[in-house]
Amino acid sequence: MNRRHFLHTAGAGFGGMALSTLLAGKSDAAATHFSPKAKRVIQIFCPGGWSQVDTFDYKPELEKRAGQPFDPGGELQFFASKPGNCLPSQWEFRQHGESGRWVSGLFPRLARCVDDMAFVYSMKSTTALHGPGCFMMNTGHTLPGFPSMGAWVTYGLGSESENLPAFVVLPDPRGLPPGGMINWGAGFLPAVHQATTLDANNAAQPIADLFPPPGFDGVTPQRDAAGLGFLDKINHLHRESRSGNSELEARISAYEMAARLQLSAPEVTDLAGESELTRKLYAIDHPETGPFGRQCLLARRMAERGVRFVQIYCGAENTTAKKIRPNWDSHEDIVRDHGYWGEVLDSGASALLIDLKARGMLDDTLVICTSEFGRQPAAQGANRGRDHNAGAFTSWMAGGGVKAGTGYGSTDELGFEAVDKAIHSWELHATALQLLGIDHERLSWYHNGLEQRLTGFEGKGVVRELLG
Amino acid sequence: MKKSLTIPPLVVALTLLSVAPAGAIDFVKEVRPILEARCFECHGPESQKSSFRLDLREAAMKGGSEGVAIVPGKSGESALIAHITAPADDEMRMPPKGDRLSSAEVGVLKTWIDAGAPWPDAVAGADERLSYWSWQPLSDAGEAIVKGQSGHPVDGFIQRRLSEAGLTMSAEADRRTLIRRLTFDLHGMPPTPEAIEAFVSDTDAAAYEKLVDRLLASPHFGERFARHWLDIAHYADTHGFERDKRRETAWRYRDYVIDAFNKDKPYDQFLKEQIAGDVLWPDQPEAVIATGFLAAGPWDFVGQVETRSDELRRAARGLDLDDMATQVMTASMGMTVNCARCHDHKLDPISQEEYYQLWSVFAGVKRDERPVNDAELKKYESTKATLTKQRDELDLEIRRLEGEGLDLADIVGGGNGTGTGTKRQGLDSRDASVQTKDLGRLDKVKMNHFAAAKSEFIDGVFIPDGFGGKGVIPISSTGLTLTGLPKTSGEAWDLIRNGPVASQHSPVAGGIDFTKDGHSLLGLHANAGITFDLAALRKASGADAMRFTAKLAYFGQEGANYADARLYLDGKKELEFVKLGRKDGLKDIDLVLPETARFLTLIASDGRDGIGHDQVGFGDPLIQPHPPRNVSGDERERLTRLQGERGEIVKKLGALVSPPKVYAVVPEAKIPEVRLLRRGEPEQPTGDPLEPGAFAALAMLNPDLGDHGTGQGDRRAALAQWITDPKNPLTRRVIANRLWHWIFGAGLVTTPSDFGLGGDTPSHPELLDWLAAEMEREGGSIKAMLRLLLTSAAYRQDSRFAADAAGVSVDAGNRLLWRQNPKRIEAEAVRDAVLAVSGKLNPASGGPGFEDFTYEEAYAPIYTYITADDPKLWRRSIYRYLVRTTPSRFMTTLDCPDPANLTPKRMTTTTALQSLALYNNDFMLRQARYFAERLEAAGGDKVKQAYSLAFGREPTAVEATLATEFIAKEGLFSFCRALFNANEFVYVD
Repeated sequence: MNRRHFLHTAGAGFGGMALSTLLAGKSDAAATHFSPKAKRVIQIFCPGGWSQVDTFDYKPELEKRAGQPFDPGGELQFFASKPGNCLPSQWEFRQHGESGRWVSGLFPRLARCVDDMAFVYSMKSTTALHGPGCFMMNTGHTLPGFPSMGAWVTYGLGSESENLPAFVVLPDPRGLPPGGMINWGAGFLPAVHQATTLDANNAAQPIADLFPPPGFDGVTPQRDAAGLGFLDKINHLHRESRSGNSELEARISAYEMAARLQLSAPEVTDLAGESELTRKLYAIDHPETGPFGRQCLLARRMAERGVRFVQIYCGAENTTAKKIRPNWDSHEDIVRDHGYWGEVLDSGASALLIDLKARGMLDDTLVICTSEFGRQPAAQGANRGRDHNAGAFTSWMAGGGVKAGTGYGSTDELGFEAVDKAIHSWELHATALQLLGIDHERLSWYHNGLEQRLTGFEGKGVVRELLG
Repeated sequence: MKKSLTIPPLVVALTLLSVAPAGAIDFVKEVRPILEARCFECHGPESQKSSFRLDLREAAMKGGSEGVAIVPGKSGESALIAHITAPADDEMRMPPKGDRLSSAEVGVLKTWIDAGAPWPDAVAGADERLSYWSWQPLSDAGEAIVKGQSGHPVDGFIQRRLSEAGLTMSAEADRRTLIRRLTFDLHGMPPTPEAIEAFVSDTDAAAYEKLVDRLLASPHFGERFARHWLDIAHYADTHGFERDKRRETAWRYRDYVIDAFNKDKPYDQFLKEQIAGDVLWPDQPEAVIATGFLAAGPWDFVGQVETRSDELRRAARGLDLDDMATQVMTASMGMTVNCARCHDHKLDPISQEEYYQLWSVFAGVKRDERPVNDAELKKYESTKATLTKQRDELDLEIRRLEGEGLDLADIVGGGNGTGTGTKRQGLDSRDASVQTKDLGRLDKVKMNHFAAAKSEFIDGVFIPDGFGGKGVIPISSTGLTLTGLPKTSGEAWDLIRNGPVASQHSPVAGGIDFTKDGHSLLGLHANAGITFDLAALRKASGADAMRFTAKLAYFGQEGANYADARLYLDGKKELEFVKLGRKDGLKDIDLVLPETARFLTLIASDGRDGIGHDQVGFGDPLIQPHPPRNVSGDERERLTRLQGERGEIVKKLGALVSPPKVYAVVPEAKIPEVRLLRRGEPEQPTGDPLEPGAFAALAMLNPDLGDHGTGQGDRRAALAQWITDPKNPLTRRVIANRLWHWIFGAGLVTTPSDFGLGGDTPSHPELLDWLAAEMEREGGSIKAMLRLLLTSAAYRQDSRFAADAAGVSVDAGNRLLWRQNPKRIEAEAVRDAVLAVSGKLNPASGGPGFEDFTYEEAYAPIYTYITADDPKLWRRSIYRYLVRTTPSRFMTTLDCPDPANLTPKRMTTTTALQSLALYNNDFMLRQARYFAERLEAAGGDKVKQAYSLAFGREPTAVEATLATEFIAKEGLFSFCRALFNANEFVYVD
């Protein structure tokens, strides 16, 4: 049986790749399946599970039933609790823009962008657990070890930049999301497709090992360069009797690429060149919303420079429960936790959309914002918070050829479950890939008996109604 | 439903029917064309939606995941007819697209079914997939080839294919190349200069064979080969998922694998022990440890334990069983059974039902820590208890003599005040029960209820509410009460702890981290109170008059958060701190405890602003003799002796390492029923409970592994037997191929864990089968097989080749082996080689993994990597403590795989980030410095020695000149740093 994967496994390795591939994978093979609308993706991930009924999914019936038992028969058992009473949105909903999309008062700034956004009200997950849920939303599988969307996209499209990695992730400064850094891993794809983590708070070393640790005795920039020159010489001597092995040449080139990255990475993280207006737009000096705003600004800068996929985390793991939860996981107090995180997201994400649009970049930059699942319309027991809900949540996209101002699918009258046009990460990803010019069924890698895909085998494929 | 290869009764019945007259309907002429035209697209050879196909008689009659579709003789009860006659807008209408079947076509099918659905044998159809090479018995074609040739048996097979392609083998590599290649292949490290010289100058004709034997006999062999196997087992030392907790005893399995390779455990035995060692040899510790294999993969604590939702728990358990079943079958037989979870396997003849019968084999076990052996555990525990008791008694006596006092935090942690307590253990302020887990906000709080403690030194605990000074608060078992406390919120948080309370903002106050060595912390979150029994403390400390000293602080976050703290003696207020906040820093407490005082009570209350952040703590809380003791000469002598005794005991305790337990599998109380899950959905079980079973694709074996009455252990034992059955060709082929892959860098089958239709076919099928049979003849000896492969000329070939070599145009991928494959060494080998060359490698073997990170206990534990600059961290990479959620970035960058994945084959990439890691990483730079220091210390020609250590050869004249000039200008360190980055360092010829 002669199958496609022999291309990957025939032992030729990756030695024959062009120079630019060393940061990103195949960029020369930019042959997409369709004409792409979007060239790059900025994804904002809000871990912890955000509430649809307090944000974008307007449920007047829930208001009417406020305080009535949600599950009078006592049949339901959520992740951590039995449901309490119906708890309406803690923020007032209003219609916005020409499209008239509903947004709650939690997002006053994003509300002004609705005409550029497309909402999917009928998202579902297959799990209500954070770890598997984050894996699901990032990789299409609840088990760890599968390639993340960013890895798939760079595998499919390579890099636009010769000087920066193709896939960059900006974790929340508070820490890693549930499930850890394998959320942006390459799984079984070659490691070249894993994300490079950018530490926005470390101007001297934004990428791990970009430079030697400061103050290391005997290391100077001049010596670094001289050492690389010497290395190049001995590598070429070594190669003389091994001219058949192209991997050796690729590895020599990798050191040249590394030197280029040393110039380009500090440049991208240096915000000194940004105008005062831009700094204010992203509120980068605000003590609470500033760090996320800075990440959004960095994402824009990387997108400008050809980074294919940027993922920003708006929230961390449930590490040490502070007064405010370190992510959207609002079990006890929806006002306290969603109130805090909502303000953070509203400020940074709206700035990003406004800025991208002003620069003409929104047309070919796809912005995706999602959580791993939603929350219950009922209160969590007697709390003022809500328990996990895999049955419904809202994701939104903007730019990159998505149908602006649209709303897709719906939940039941209380926002408990997606009932009309329910989709999972598979369809959302398939749609995003379509916008990038990729046929999701043809973006595959043979592993463990299957031509594996980001979009799995159970999904219904591309959501045409979301294409502009 | 027993499965076997005999024809199922239904088919027998049909066969009989088919000889009977079938009325007017001719299956071949009338029925089959309809099925072919209208159904085969989705239910035929290419696609089997709902696991249903109509092109094969047996499959058609069996039905699909929605049940039986054809009931012979009863068209009215046949789902097939219901589907094709359903209205157009009905979901069940078949075919779903296009015109519906005409009434004539429906009529034909109805008549056919009513006539007993006759289907002649001649067109019953056979599953062609069953004749695929990998399911067939081992071929003995290789025997003839071996007999008909002279020389090394392996080379005959290779040369035959090469000459067919007009190619020849490359010349044998030189001895320096060979020893470097062999040492990396067998040990994962470079050879020492001494070993190289000895081999190069060995005049014995059998020098090479002797070298192979020597390398196979070294304990480093097991360390290298265990890494290969642990990749297949996706072994790590933590759970993974959200709460990535530690598995403190998982390492015993890792050591088992190393040991198994080193002692050349027969392969069948190796497999049997890992699948069912606990059942087959329950009294042999190593057989029990071996089952760590089944538990090696990830496990979701939140989904399996924490959630209250049964549905979520079933989903997590589903993933868990899938992981276990997949691992066992891919590792041992290269069967990708996981593809049959949601539907029948798309490529291989593996049905969904068979997949769930495999679940039934593992459904009776779950992953957990277990004793290696009950007797050993008992022995361990009693030894430990005895030693601990002796140590504690000595501590108490030493403290008494020294007058150092007793630590109340330690006492709260269950200790005797001398450091014997458990960190972070504490008492529940509601009922005085001993706890360690993080409770957070307490429910069912009962205010002003005194709970007596089962502790020698603690009288009891309570949750106070002063009700504006009117509340009567009981504070002792003798009935003492106090009043005068302000009103509180009536809430309480977590435990009274030996250490920080749950979610404590910080353990630091006034610049002191009270969790670090030499300090202790009594965590007392508001609202809570605790009363100590001074009479008992007095007796233990040996002093009549005592004093209590501590550093009180508010450890919660800075801001408008406050709490109150008060101290009482026998119910009388002695000290009071009102509205204590974080910015108040440390409050020194020094309270004299007169001989007459019986109870010391400490209370933290919420300062009237709720309990949020109210993490009150007493740092270094000590009860000391008052006045301090003077140590006399006699006592000093006695102290010296006691400390000597203590040192001995501590040494013995240290030698106990960790309890004889292992992270493996334990039986479920009752084996849960397993049913086929439609579309793999845990909430959609269908059909009857399934008995344990294996796979019918291997026609030479009986897939029956028991019935519903078979115990969980016997189910696994039966599977182990089925996998290792001498007639099972796949198990042997798979291991023979793996050995080839590990040695040649690419397998004869290039998909080592997939021998199905989606995988590769062997480049040398006769050789593969001959090796598989040879494995049997060698009694399953891995070492014997390796010796065979390593002594072949094929292995010994030169790997260097020019871009215009003849083989490049004919066989660029080198499947025919016209040369050896040059190999980029893996992340672990890079790290080990660096340590070996710098001279810093710590050869200590076995035991708990080394941790090149700091660990912070939290809801989701936090692992933060540090630079490994300590001999403890310079051990071989196989002994790394592997964290699933937070792999080492350095190693990951160098292509080290994620232990979430089964990794039959390492991937090699070349990236700029790798260059940065090797050139700039702190570990690399420090090791380059050690390398330079090693060369300095050795004296002599540094360039020559450096080349010998790093590359196993002498520099050429050109290289020597270049290097000498470079060192003169940039220094030896820069030179060593460059060598670690050289292509020659990471590529082995």
